[in-house]
Amino acid sequence: MKYAKLIRRNLFRNKLRSFLMIVLMGAIFFLIASLIQILDAFDNFSTGGAGDRLVVQSAFSLATMLPYAHEEKLRRVPGVVEVGKSQWLGGYYKERRNTFAILTLDADKVNALFPELNIDAGQLADFARDRQGALVGADLMSRFHWKIGDRITLHREIFPFDPELNIRAVTHNATLGSALYLHQDYFNEALKWNRVGTFWVKVAHINDMPAISQQIDAAFKNSEDPTETFTEKEFNRQFVNMMGNVKLLFGTISLCSIFMIVLLAAITMSMAARERVTEVAVLKAIGFGRGLILGLMLTEFVITTLIGWVVGVGGAALLYRFGDMAKYTMGFLPNLRIAPATAAICAAAAIFVGLVAGGLPSMKSANLRVVDGLRKVV
Amino acid sequence: MEALVQIDNVRKVYHRDAFEVPVLNGITVGVPRGDFLALMGPSGSGKTTLLNLIAGIDRPTAGSITVDGREISRFNESALASWRARHVGFIFQLYNLIPVLNAFENVELPLLLTKLSKKQRRQHVEAALNIVGLGDRMFHYPRQLSGGQEQRVAIARAVVTDPTIIVADEPTGDLDAKNAQETLDLLRQLNEEFEKTIVMVTHDPKAAQHAKRILHLEKGLLVESVEEQAAEA
Repeated sequence: MKYAKLIRRNLFRNKLRSFLMIVLMGAIFFLIASLIQILDAFDNFSTGGAGDRLVVQSAFSLATMLPYAHEEKLRRVPGVVEVGKSQWLGGYYKERRNTFAILTLDADKVNALFPELNIDAGQLADFARDRQGALVGADLMSRFHWKIGDRITLHREIFPFDPELNIRAVTHNATLGSALYLHQDYFNEALKWNRVGTFWVKVAHINDMPAISQQIDAAFKNSEDPTETFTEKEFNRQFVNMMGNVKLLFGTISLCSIFMIVLLAAITMSMAARERVTEVAVLKAIGFGRGLILGLMLTEFVITTLIGWVVGVGGAALLYRFGDMAKYTMGFLPNLRIAPATAAICAAAAIFVGLVAGGLPSMKSANLRVVDGLRKVV
Repeated sequence: MEALVQIDNVRKVYHRDAFEVPVLNGITVGVPRGDFLALMGPSGSGKTTLLNLIAGIDRPTAGSITVDGREISRFNESALASWRARHVGFIFQLYNLIPVLNAFENVELPLLLTKLSKKQRRQHVEAALNIVGLGDRMFHYPRQLSGGQEQRVAIARAVVTDPTIIVADEPTGDLDAKNAQETLDLLRQLNEEFEKTIVMVTHDPKAAQHAKRILHLEKGLLVESVEEQAAEA
């Protein structure tokens, strides 16, 4: 394009201003892209999980534990194939900043209840055999440079229990990469409560899940420990809901960021256009038409915002791709990445910002009367 | 001699808030092809306004302006822009080069609006810069040139498209005596050797002496009595 040189030279005519503008744009697009991806991660969490599992918790609250005795009654409900116990422990390794998901499960039922964990048969057998065995997500293994056979001690967060564990198995499941599982029996032997936070119930037919849920809750309705049964997806969604309306908050922050960037860009672009009133008048005098001036200036402004997009979204993509996200996010978002759709949304936002913020100064330049522009100096 | 530019009873009134400011009050004049015309007069006499009208960067309130057989005072803004690109070369008092472009790129600007290839554009630019004696400064930026050299680049930009008419508004107003003389010599060379029609506004009687004709304006009217043939410098 024969006008490329003119656009390129004008882009960087004031290097400090261009640099600051691009850094500002980059920072804001970094923020927006990150917020979108974090929201997406929450969505994935709340919609993830297998379709054939139910989760039974106390009707009072998730923090209230249910008696072991419920397990046998659950097993007798028609349509139930398998039942297992699981407890969220919380805790950390060495220091509080090394917090990650720590849960118990019935080691002998891992394959039956959670086949997606996809564990090596030999490792799974070792895990099941060792009462102090630990099943660890691959990201955690990598983050702490652990290897099979290592002995580790975790520190309590909720319960008076500091597990001493032998790493026996690794799961490469992408969504559970930052979780650690230990035997429910080990936990219970330490506390001797014979109670657990949740039962995980696998059903024979997915279509029967609503009826089975109702039967389970009905069975315990008049007991001291009534239950509330969810599908796994509903159960997971609770955790996202616990965080309040995060989506609204993040969405508001993103919109505010875009609004802010439009205003700042508009101020900067207006300054850039005003500095060039005489030059625009000269260009118009020698024959550059209104449309051409408008196109050149808008192209210049959109390129500026797109460079900001490259810096911000590209920076985020590189950071999330090569940075230790498990460490930076304390294990919560180890697989944070910038998806192509997010990059595309941000690119559209960059073009929008360039067009909106640059629109008015570009229109003013395009509509400038040559004699008015030249009068500034002539 | 055939009138390249024919101005008939042109009036120009500017509107400043609620006030009407008449600048030209019925000018009729012809500029023959190959003429070198100097417009003189006190500040506010309307000479720059008349130049702007001839160049097609402003439109008259009344009357008509015909250049090379086409009545440009009837053109809309878009048509005027493309007409200027083909027919008018501009020289300004403060040179008005684009500071982020070097001499070559500044001179090339009007050619970007043509259908010439990159190679053809380069040939035209090199020829124009050689005419003004800056063949060795093609890749210097305006800040790396003296005032006189900048004005010569501006002259190269004005002639590179081989325009029908060159308009110059105080082309020596910001130059020292030596550079002013060189600039005027160059304009005369363009007029005499290349037969370019030039209309120049100036306050400086010495500069006006380089023109073939001088017209004086006062209060928006031509002072016919002082129309004269410039002396040969």
